[in-house]
Amino acid sequence: MITVRDVTKVFPGGVVALDGFSLDVCRGEVLVIIGPSGSGKSTFLRCLNGLDAIDSGTIIIDGVALDKNEANRLAIRREVGMVFQSFNLFPHLNVEENINLAQQLVQKKKLAEATASTHALLTRVGLLNKANRYPDELSGGQQQRVAIARALALHPKVMLFDEATSALDPEMIGEVLDVMRDLAAEGMTMLVVTHEMGFAREVSDRVVFMDHGRVVEEAASKDFFTKPLHDRTRDFLSQIL
Amino acid sequence: MPATSLKNFFRLTTLRDIGLFLLTLAAFLWLVLRGAEQMGYTWHWQRIPGYLFTLDEDGFSAGPLLQGLGLTLVITSISMLCAGLIGLATALLRLSSSPIGRQLARIYLEISRNTPLLVQIFCFYFIVAPILDIGRMSTAVLALSLFEGAYASEIFRAGIQSIHRGQWEASHSLGLTRWQGYRHVILPQAIRKIMPPLTSQAISLIKDSALVSTIAVYELTMQGRAIIADTYLTFEIWTVVAAIYLVLTLAVSAVAGILKQRLQGVG
Ligand SMILES: Nc1ncnc2c1ncn2[C@@H]1O[C@H](COP(=O)(O)OP(=O)(O)OP(=O)(O)O)[C@@H](O)[C@H]1O
Ligand SMILES: [Mg+2]
Repeated sequence: MITVRDVTKVFPGGVVALDGFSLDVCRGEVLVIIGPSGSGKSTFLRCLNGLDAIDSGTIIIDGVALDKNEANRLAIRREVGMVFQSFNLFPHLNVEENINLAQQLVQKKKLAEATASTHALLTRVGLLNKANRYPDELSGGQQQRVAIARALALHPKVMLFDEATSALDPEMIGEVLDVMRDLAAEGMTMLVVTHEMGFAREVSDRVVFMDHGRVVEEAASKDFFTKPLHDRTRDFLSQIL
Repeated sequence: MPATSLKNFFRLTTLRDIGLFLLTLAAFLWLVLRGAEQMGYTWHWQRIPGYLFTLDEDGFSAGPLLQGLGLTLVITSISMLCAGLIGLATALLRLSSSPIGRQLARIYLEISRNTPLLVQIFCFYFIVAPILDIGRMSTAVLALSLFEGAYASEIFRAGIQSIHRGQWEASHSLGLTRWQGYRHVILPQAIRKIMPPLTSQAISLIKDSALVSTIAVYELTMQGRAIIADTYLTFEIWTVVAAIYLVLTLAVSAVAGILKQRLQGVG
């Protein structure tokens, strides 16, 4: 489904965010990526949907190689949904319009058609009653659920989550994780950067530990927490668990 | 909506402010009267209304000053529109990924903002107008639009850049093109922040438009100069001309204020 080979990303100023990064993800797999701050987790997700351009290496998503061509980048982005730590809902549009927008502009749906699927998505994340609210009238957890619905509106083949619950108050983390859990159960391919080790253990199929822009260790999640191979992984786990 | 904002206006205006205002006005009048007296100037206010308009059996007809005002309105509104478009286009060019586009935009901005408007008007009048074979009116509009457009573009740019980059990331990740991102996500948010500085720019434009009187475009200032050349009613005419500009600019601020409230009412 996703093949990443020897990807390097150097930021202006010389920071090497990804340093020969390679990874394979199968269809329907839920992959959790963990690692210390600055290890390149966000950069990796951003490169996957073309928000950042890679300097070398290859990324192939569902048979399509990501290159610098603009049309190709747009095509990839439509296949890949992304959920951000800070939600990034459009504040001047209400919930329904937020989710309609890409359907109308990208899929060229008529308003009625878009609204119908928006309502179906809102039902799925339990927020149909908030359809006419503006983002700043919602709690963080509700905003993030809307953001997930918005990303799902284009029927992506892959969903990326970059610390989707890190900006939330503790009591709201659960409702967002529940939505993600449902999505995983439906067979969505998911790459999840998170500090929620409970979620990682319970929901994910595989855990990748990265540091300094490379994969240090990857293992099935049931093995990862019980018998980590590397010292660095062990150190990291002992810090966060 | 206008009714409530008017109420706010009066509620905010304290008695003290009114007092200070009247005092200043009185001092100003006294200075003008005294200045005129020392010069042995005799007032002819009764002749002024005739230069504004006449009412007779044919009905209302605009005098030279109101005709000038009309032309000022035409020139400034067309220039405002053009300056807005030029400003937006230049801002987008400066923020684009094309190095040539960015450089072109910068050259235009540097020239436009670092030479006097008066000189620019002359350049357009004596050099560009004959080449393009355009009249004085078009020359005036062209010069003003390009000059104010440079300032407008900086306002647009600042407004666009003030939008959090997460908004771009979200719109990109949804597969929106760059243009769609601007059109549906960035600009609608930026416009709220841009309104106040853009209003002051519009007011500058109204005031700067007086300079096109130098190429004999018969707008308000030029009409004033023409009347004075004929009649020597220096004090009266300049006072009236200044008052008309004042009313015009205050009206623009008021409209902008109402517009801003509307925009902020949504979302
Ligand atoms: N736009 C940028 N310009 C320059 N350097 C950047 C940029 N974005 C990230 N970096 C650098 O790249 C490295 C990897 O950053 P990245 O955000 O991918 O880390 P992360 O693993 O997501 O960290 P965190 O857990 O703190 O979110 C860091 O050293 C960071 O400073
Ligand atoms: Mg990060």
